[in-house]
Amino acid sequence: MNFLRRRIVDFAYFLNTADAYQRKKQFFYNLLENNKFGHKKYFDFFMIALIFFSVAILIVEVKSDVPEYVKFFNVYVISIIFLVEYLLRLWTSSSVSEVIINYSEHDTMLGRKFNLFRAFLKIVKTKFEFILSPQALIDLLAILPFFHELRLLRLFVLFRVFKLFRYTARFRVFISVLSTKKFEFLILLMFASIVIFVSSVLVYVMEANNPKSPINTLFDAFYWSIVTIATVGYGDVVAVTTEGRIVAIFVIIAGISVIAFTTSIVVSAFSEKLDEIREMKTIDDIRTLKHFYLICGYESVAAEVASKLKSDNLTIIVLDESQERIANAKKDGLIALNYDPGNVESYKKTGIDFDMQVKSVLCLRESDVENVYTTLTVRSLSKKVNITSLLMDDINRKKLNFAGVDEILYPKGLVGLISKELIGRPVAFEAIHALRNDYYGVNIEEILIDGRINENIHYVGELLNANFKIVLLGIYKKDKKRFFFNPLKDTMLESGDYLLVIGKGTFIKEFERYLHKKSRV
Amino acid sequence: MKSKVALIFGYNDYALEIAKNIKHNYKEVYLYSLKSQEDSYKNSSEFEIRSFDLSDKWGDIDEFVDFESSIAFCVLEDSAENIFLTISLRSVFQNLNIIALSNNKETANKLKMAGANRVIPLVQTTAEMISEMMEKPIVKEVFHNILFENSDLKITQIKMYKKSIYLGKKISDLDWERHGIIALSIVLEGGRNEFIYASKIKNYTVKEDDVFVVVGYERDILEFEKRIGSDV
Repeated sequence: MNFLRRRIVDFAYFLNTADAYQRKKQFFYNLLENNKFGHKKYFDFFMIALIFFSVAILIVEVKSDVPEYVKFFNVYVISIIFLVEYLLRLWTSSSVSEVIINYSEHDTMLGRKFNLFRAFLKIVKTKFEFILSPQALIDLLAILPFFHELRLLRLFVLFRVFKLFRYTARFRVFISVLSTKKFEFLILLMFASIVIFVSSVLVYVMEANNPKSPINTLFDAFYWSIVTIATVGYGDVVAVTTEGRIVAIFVIIAGISVIAFTTSIVVSAFSEKLDEIREMKTIDDIRTLKHFYLICGYESVAAEVASKLKSDNLTIIVLDESQERIANAKKDGLIALNYDPGNVESYKKTGIDFDMQVKSVLCLRESDVENVYTTLTVRSLSKKVNITSLLMDDINRKKLNFAGVDEILYPKGLVGLISKELIGRPVAFEAIHALRNDYYGVNIEEILIDGRINENIHYVGELLNANFKIVLLGIYKKDKKRFFFNPLKDTMLESGDYLLVIGKGTFIKEFERYLHKKSRV
Repeated sequence: MKSKVALIFGYNDYALEIAKNIKHNYKEVYLYSLKSQEDSYKNSSEFEIRSFDLSDKWGDIDEFVDFESSIAFCVLEDSAENIFLTISLRSVFQNLNIIALSNNKETANKLKMAGANRVIPLVQTTAEMISEMMEKPIVKEVFHNILFENSDLKITQIKMYKKSIYLGKKISDLDWERHGIIALSIVLEGGRNEFIYASKIKNYTVKEDDVFVVVGYERDILEFEKRIGSDV
């Protein structure tokens, strides 16, 4: 027995530390349960398709013959897929090896002999908790059509529809919203049950002995009561005696209250949770975004930056702990979340992936303390992501640099530099300002020479920019960090260089198209 | 004796940054404060702090400021006071060049109406710079170097004088690039700035006194100016 115990503990340790096993388990867990996992949506679509297929076969089967192979697919293949899914869920729901290790270490620490039976009970209990959960029961019932020879079990195909709850987040939201009003629904149910019970008995007593009355049994009375309280009133079963009709009047009035009460509960549940539902939808949308700018703090500069970036069709997400500022951001048509940008939890909840999704983080609070705090938070989550921050007081520049900001913008310093230009070269300054802001339709753009363009265009002379009424201001060699102004025609172009061109926006676009087109030739 | 001075109204970080940047262009730079005693006490800068109020008593300024060549910066933190100051200066000194700082578009419009020659819209300018850093980082770096740093590459204004060889030529026929210079825009009558790449002025004929904004290396610009007999 000791030998067996030792072997089981050894095996548990082996499983717990086996990378391949843990990786596989994690993969299946992600596939089945983790909404952030990229492949999960494909798996969910596949399962939803199987469910609809299964239900469609059930409907078609009622009045028509279904080919044998379709039946086979429906009964065996789909059921086996569901069985495999059920077993995988059972497997990933908890870790058997961890329970054994925990119990073994616990007993060893207390100087006791490892009690395998207790660990076994714990494992069974944990697994049964999963098996008896409503969703797992639906999963189990959905497998039952496998035993299709029992005709009744075929109807269990309908349980497959309930499995849809597993695969669609929206259904889960619907249920979770309604579940917030459990207490109110319970009261309502009790009220309706009492009315149904009392009215059923009363109407049975009043009507059962009347030969003209269609209510002859307690079941008829119960059916009549349900139909009346629900304000459906089919009219197939009605009270004919005066006493019975008096009961009907009370049931109808109670029915109206039940319907009104139910409606108000559902409406209040949704209105209370509306913001939360919207927030969940926003978070879902953010997870699907590929590239966006993250603005942390929405004050006057941030609003102006967001408006400029948005006008260029760039995606912006705003985070701010102030509800008022978030309301302003939403009013400006931005995707905004009322989360503190200085809190790690905010990024965990939103599922923002800095390295994959965020082009740049803009710390635009008009407070250096907040910007330093946000920078440190973001830097703790990503070493790579570009962070740009406002600097309100030059004395804090070092702190921002130390926190990990890549680029700093100091508005007060900028005002000083602009003032110098305005008194020295006002016309030139205005010209550059207009050019940078695309006034008069003339623009300056940077065009990347990528490998494909560089395959066909090797020298400046081959660009033919003059044909497009475009002036080449210069070439920026990124690797050398040097700008070559007005380059000669025989200047060599390299992949990774940037062309700085000036011209009308439409001509620049045409020129870019030409460069890429030429690269395809 | 009247001289070329810079008057900066308001004692704050903006005022100090402006003073630091323009001090070489003016004989004297004076900082004017509404709370001069308090500000003089904490002032550690090289600039003298003088007192002023918003009561239109500008007698002392009138005595030493040459209004044709001097400049005034209105950088009070309170927008209403800044507008009041601007209108007050303009009502007394018609020729004074006034540059004012504004926090938003609404204030910028009011400052212009109050008589400021130029307004620096702080929020807008900062936002423009940040969005350029995001969208066109290389343009931002190159222009920042040309405008604000000690780069060999310069942006400047060139005026066409009587003996210029380019008088009477069409803009589309100008071939300055072979002299190492790229012309960006032309300042037309009334100070209107037109980009020479805009199709509407490509047939414009160069006239005497036209001012061109050009980019080029300092030595090329100087040589070019000699060639066309122009002064900067």
